[in-house]
Amino acid sequence: MSSVARSPRDLSDQAQGASGGITIAGVNYEYRPPRGRPVLALDRISLEVAEREFIAVLGPSGCGKSTLLYLVGGFMPLQQGTIAVNGRSVTGPGPDRGIVFQNFALFPWKTVRDNVLYGLEKQRLPKSAREEIAQHYIDMVHLSGFEDSYPSQLSGGMKQRVAIARTLAIKPDTLLMDEPFGALDAQTRSLMQEELLAIWNQSPTTVVFVTHDVREAVLLADRVAVMTARPGRLKEIVDTKMDDLPQDEIMKTRAFLDKVDYTWNLVREEAIAADSKKGR
Amino acid sequence: MALAPQIGGSTAAAPPGASRAGSLLRLAFDRVGPFLTLGSLLIAWELAARLELVMAFLLPPASGVAMRIFQDLFTGRLAYDIGITLYRAISAFSIAAIGGITLGILISRVAAIRWFFDPLLSIGLPMPKVALLPIFMLWFGLFDASKVLMAAFSASFQIVVTTWAATRGVERELVWSARSLGASEREILREVVFRAAMPQILTGLQIAMPVCMIVVLVTEMIMGGQGLGDSMLRSARYVDSPGVFAGIVEIGLIGFGVMKIMEVLRRRLLAWHQETQKDQ
Amino acid sequence: MIATLWRFTPLLILAIVWEAATWMGLISEFALPRFSNVVASLGTLVQELAYQAGRSMLRGGVGFLGAVVVGVLAGVLMAWYRPVRILVDPLMRCLYPMPKSALIPLTIMWIGLGDASKMTLIFIGCLLPIVLSSYNAARGVDKVLLWSARGMGATEREVLWEIAVPASLPEILSGIRISLALSFILMVSAEMIIANNGIGYLISVLGEGGDYSGMFAGVITISAIGFFADRCFVMLMNRALAWRE
Repeated sequence: MSSVARSPRDLSDQAQGASGGITIAGVNYEYRPPRGRPVLALDRISLEVAEREFIAVLGPSGCGKSTLLYLVGGFMPLQQGTIAVNGRSVTGPGPDRGIVFQNFALFPWKTVRDNVLYGLEKQRLPKSAREEIAQHYIDMVHLSGFEDSYPSQLSGGMKQRVAIARTLAIKPDTLLMDEPFGALDAQTRSLMQEELLAIWNQSPTTVVFVTHDVREAVLLADRVAVMTARPGRLKEIVDTKMDDLPQDEIMKTRAFLDKVDYTWNLVREEAIAADSKKGR
Repeated sequence: MALAPQIGGSTAAAPPGASRAGSLLRLAFDRVGPFLTLGSLLIAWELAARLELVMAFLLPPASGVAMRIFQDLFTGRLAYDIGITLYRAISAFSIAAIGGITLGILISRVAAIRWFFDPLLSIGLPMPKVALLPIFMLWFGLFDASKVLMAAFSASFQIVVTTWAATRGVERELVWSARSLGASEREILREVVFRAAMPQILTGLQIAMPVCMIVVLVTEMIMGGQGLGDSMLRSARYVDSPGVFAGIVEIGLIGFGVMKIMEVLRRRLLAWHQETQKDQ
Repeated sequence: MIATLWRFTPLLILAIVWEAATWMGLISEFALPRFSNVVASLGTLVQELAYQAGRSMLRGGVGFLGAVVVGVLAGVLMAWYRPVRILVDPLMRCLYPMPKSALIPLTIMWIGLGDASKMTLIFIGCLLPIVLSSYNAARGVDKVLLWSARGMGATEREVLWEIAVPASLPEILSGIRISLALSFILMVSAEMIIANNGIGYLISVLGEGGDYSGMFAGVITISAIGFFADRCFVMLMNRALAWRE
């Protein structure tokens, strides 16, 4: 079986050197609500993500994994610690770090095509180039024919595909994904996972994928960073690179099941701790 | 855990040392800010009046208005005017509430009544019902009755529509549960439907109260016959500016007071509802 | 088509009962003129009605449109820029619980009895609900929409006008619809108090003069106008928000 290169970074690593990727060092983050006590969300997080690596951030609800993602994306200001992407400090959001949200965040008053075009317009590309690129990505996510539909007319899976097309169209170096398949039913989720991997194999970028689903993390990622319950600390990083096999076959291999088991045990105690904290 | 609101403004990472001092300053500004604005407005008002930037008889000094209010308080004039206006407004509100809620429930349950009133409500709601005042004066005389009934009529549309929507919207499952537990239709109506619809009904009432006040004031201005509206209009006619401003302040305070009372009542009545529990 | 006719049939029934009751003398002609007479008055008074109603609409329209433009801008800017909010918010909180009709004596005293006074009244009265709903709408925009736009390289200005405002449109339009009804109330009220022209004035004057059919005709006219204004607005609203489902 020919293997579609799952980590093309092997090719480019030597060329690029170590300046690519994401470096997170000593990040603390505290939520300060206008009334009430501040809450420590992230505690001394340090993590290195290599260029073109697919890393999953896994943890129970409230562990701060989304917060970490938003900090990398520059949507929230850093309080303590540093985050550097491609050698540059993060000071705000930008098209080098594309983001996909759980509830799609499509602009409801724009058609599918206009949604995908938006980022391209912000890049001030000439009109014909914009339309060509937009169409290419709409086709890539298998939504040809729906260009003039509004988000309210689409199913959940379709909406998420538009969101992915919109983000990929601006060709970001890094792809940030915040539980992107969390709002979809189990079957759609499975299909989307396959599609994501297929897309990623075509044009690999650095991916930071936040999820609370252990199997999803082990399946998709090269490495899984497991976080503790709040305040979120990095518990352990699990290497989950698998052989190249079609999705349904991988899920039956011994290696996969063992990895899932191992990772689930790491998460399990945190999940129980997180659940009891909610009552307070 | 709420995402830190970040509408507008930059999201640049703040230098670690400055953040504490910066946020303290911001907190101070938040707390003091509103008073600062009001305070400086009051001072500006006082100065503008004293320095006669605006013609003296048009803009009385704030202190003058305050004095007039106290004067009215002591001579009992204030109590008298407020008493009359409030009496009319509350009477109107009671009529509108009882009549409106009853009709609303009937409409939601009896198809024939619904058919009959639907176009009337549809036309009546956006219509300026004050236009009917001359007709009311023709039918109900030139004194309190017309005022009270006009206000009640104006407010009742809102109450009927809201009550109808509220009772119609009660989850079927609630009604079915009650039925299978052996409740009679009457009991279901009173104990289940009414209770479940209460939040929305109360909202309708909260909207209707200010409507009663507005309409009572207007009818007093149009017809005379004592009350805040009447005395304010008379002050305007004699260019008695302290009187006009005093009236505005008094009405504002009453409006504020009534709103607060309704909020407290709402919290009491809906203690079981999640919206109240969210605050705790 | 048939459905609409059936829906408004109760009105037909009311009209028939009205005519029957007055014709048979069950209700005195002094309390309730005959329906047919009222309709006839609509015909004879149509010019006067049109003129006065036109004047009212013009005044009300200017005041209302002014409130829409200023109100939406103010509300959106308040939601977006902190300094604006800190300055204007306490003002809003003070003015909110006050019944807008309390402003009538003030505008009379300051601006007089002419058109300007009524226009100002409607402008100020309608301003507040619009500012409030625009403010709430803009503040309530889903953060992920704004973040997505920022993440695609939009400037803060672009995020405000290209994303926040369209996303707030449904709620803003609701606030405007409520203000529309309010503008009619303020307009008719002011015209009945400052009785010099306008449809409110016409209704009062006809009533005082004993021409009750005319008075009813006037009431029907303004009611119809208010109703259709609201309907038209809803149609425009649905057109603008066609993307909702």
